[in-house]
Amino acid sequence: MKAILRNPTTSIGALFCILIFVGAILAPWISPYDPLDQNIIDRLQPPSAEYWLGTDIYGRDVLSRILWGARISLVVSVAAITVAVVIGGAIGMVSAYIGGRFDLFVMQVMDVLLSFPSLILGLIVVALLGPDLINLIVAIALTAIAPFARIARAPVLSLKERAFVEAGRALGFSHARVLFVHIMPNILSEVLVMASLWMATAVRTEASLSFIGLGVKPPTATWGGMMRDGFEAILDAPWLSVFPGIAILMLVLGLNMVGDGLRDATDPKLSGS
Amino acid sequence: MTFRQALLAAALSFAVPLAAHAAPKTDLVVGMAAQDIGKLDPHLAVSTIDRTVVAWIYNALVRFKPGSMSPADIEPDLAQSWEFSADKKVWTFHLRPGVTFQGGYGELTADDVVFSLTKSGDPKRSAFSADFAAFEKVEALDKLTVRITLKQTLPSLLGILTNYSGGFIVSKKAVETLGDSFASKPVGTGPFAVASLTPNQSLELVANKGYFRGAPKLEKISYRFMPSNASRDLAFQNGELDVEYGISDQTWVDRTRKLPGAVVDVFEPAEEAILHLNMAQKPLDDIRVRQAIAYAVNRPELQRWQGPTVSRMPASVIPGGNLGYAADAGLLEFNLDKAKALLAEAGFPNGLTLKVVHTQLPGMLAGMQVVQAELKRAGINLDLQVVEHATYHQMIREDLSAMVYYSASRFPVADFYLTQFYHSRSIVKTPTAVTNFSHCTVADAEIDAARTEPNDAKQIALWQTAQKKITAAVCAVPLIETLQTWVHKDTLDYGYELKGSLSLGPLITELTQFK
Repeated sequence: MKAILRNPTTSIGALFCILIFVGAILAPWISPYDPLDQNIIDRLQPPSAEYWLGTDIYGRDVLSRILWGARISLVVSVAAITVAVVIGGAIGMVSAYIGGRFDLFVMQVMDVLLSFPSLILGLIVVALLGPDLINLIVAIALTAIAPFARIARAPVLSLKERAFVEAGRALGFSHARVLFVHIMPNILSEVLVMASLWMATAVRTEASLSFIGLGVKPPTATWGGMMRDGFEAILDAPWLSVFPGIAILMLVLGLNMVGDGLRDATDPKLSGS
Repeated sequence: MTFRQALLAAALSFAVPLAAHAAPKTDLVVGMAAQDIGKLDPHLAVSTIDRTVVAWIYNALVRFKPGSMSPADIEPDLAQSWEFSADKKVWTFHLRPGVTFQGGYGELTADDVVFSLTKSGDPKRSAFSADFAAFEKVEALDKLTVRITLKQTLPSLLGILTNYSGGFIVSKKAVETLGDSFASKPVGTGPFAVASLTPNQSLELVANKGYFRGAPKLEKISYRFMPSNASRDLAFQNGELDVEYGISDQTWVDRTRKLPGAVVDVFEPAEEAILHLNMAQKPLDDIRVRQAIAYAVNRPELQRWQGPTVSRMPASVIPGGNLGYAADAGLLEFNLDKAKALLAEAGFPNGLTLKVVHTQLPGMLAGMQVVQAELKRAGINLDLQVVEHATYHQMIREDLSAMVYYSASRFPVADFYLTQFYHSRSIVKTPTAVTNFSHCTVADAEIDAARTEPNDAKQIALWQTAQKKITAAVCAVPLIETLQTWVHKDTLDYGYELKGSLSLGPLITELTQFK
């Protein structure tokens, strides 16, 4: 942990992430205004002491909406990546463990999924299921299952030949026990590093889908939705799209920096260098 | 080359570019808030995007004087004169001779008029067939004479025959030859003809040199599809657009008016946004719930939101300025306590949720979000199902929404709006459906009686009674009236003063030119 935080880039990334996580968790207590409360008289106010980040076309406080919007971004990305890690990881591990034609077939299915850019795949799923929080999570999870299956599969291919696995089998342990108790802990760090990097992709995909109107329904605050609404008034009120844009940038950059730091710290080839 | 010749050549080489520079521009570039064009068959053109441009391509028997939409300003167009029987049931129109269709489709004859008006009255081939319900027959008496026989007198037959909606005259030969492709390759008699269409990009039009009022001064029009407001604004500021579809918003108007060389046009008709409450569905079948919604709507706040230059507060269930308008229809004024009390009385002390289909069109979605927040204060939650605009039009006509936010203007005689939105014949999902989304039936008798009432004062009184009854039954809750907002370069002269346009966009005529 110390090694991770000694890296200034990782520390800055962690700071960004912590700021946004804390902001999202404390949103109900620290938001200056109700994010849905319209105050038409104060519409399109530039940043001021009263409204730190200005107001939108309905007179809603931008800062409050960014804080509440962070909840949506984080809930969607954490939930989607968790689902992807669990399902994708299990698929990859089982596929590698069984091996043979089964492995070949599963990986070809994953290749088909990988051939779609994540935004396009997410767009297809949301367009089919309808824009909704759960559907958004499903869509983004689906885009990340294949990469996690691949990440989990590779180390299992070599681990399953190792002596401790052979020993476990020789002792009569079930395949499930060998796979999830003996093999899984060895691949966990690698999967977690990838999860932090994929979280950033999930945040971007959620924002992009919201931007094109396929996110959570209005009037719920989402960063992508705020950017889209702000874009319509960009010449009159640039702060409407700039501030949610900065929030997305901070979170995506932060997650990538932390992910890079974690990877460097866990990569034996890079450690000590 | 002698010295004198060389001097002359040098002078010419300077003069030619100067002359070229001085010549006024003849190509007009218009930026429209559209993803693409819909239908250019004028009888199927229902959106602002399509209505604006079909008015440049076609003519009608009569027309509003350019720049006006007052029934008092109706003047001859393809018909040069007309007369009618004493009971106003038989009308004879004498066509202008020598008018030709674009694209070599020949001379306009009475057959084209008979074909067009019959098509307009056919629900399979027209979106405006309800306007033609009183038509008994349309016949050609000779090559240039058309007779229209009505089943009953109409408040304004000329209103139906103007250069708007079902009144446009198409080429019979072109429609029959081109079939379905006529909707993208229109043939009219107007000053501009369609040259090409690039989907999602632009519609290109060229001057109809043989136009009967004289060759247009503009050579070409490029009608660009630019859905993003910011992109259109930037294109106009950079001089890439000569005319731009604006935003009906005070901030936009104030900023755009400050641009050098920009003239903002705010003109009639005001489209009235109305919440049509589906009385056939629970819980809106209970008048107390409908009254609660009416009390929860804060019209002054809506007008503050939109701005005083571009919007007006409505006072009735039809737009202001209509002949027969009731300025004292008795709309319920904003009162949150009364709204909550009525909801509690109706059995919803903790509020209620309504599933509502709505469009993603930015302007309409923004307006609905203000209404959503206003109703929420009274405990009425709107669960918005936001869909693409064409899907919204389809779904609301399938009776799938508890309430419908609809913004529209019609020919400014009360009969049109009342019939289409509040007469039982117009209820959606019926064979004679138009746009009665509320299933309102309370004013049928007055609407029908007014249509055949020969006495003008009595006719107006009947229309006003109809509005009061509809208001009392809370079939619909008026929200706001929004005027049309465009901007053009000050070097462009429309050729008339733009005060109103029923096609919802500026009319580009043969006289429109750059100064």
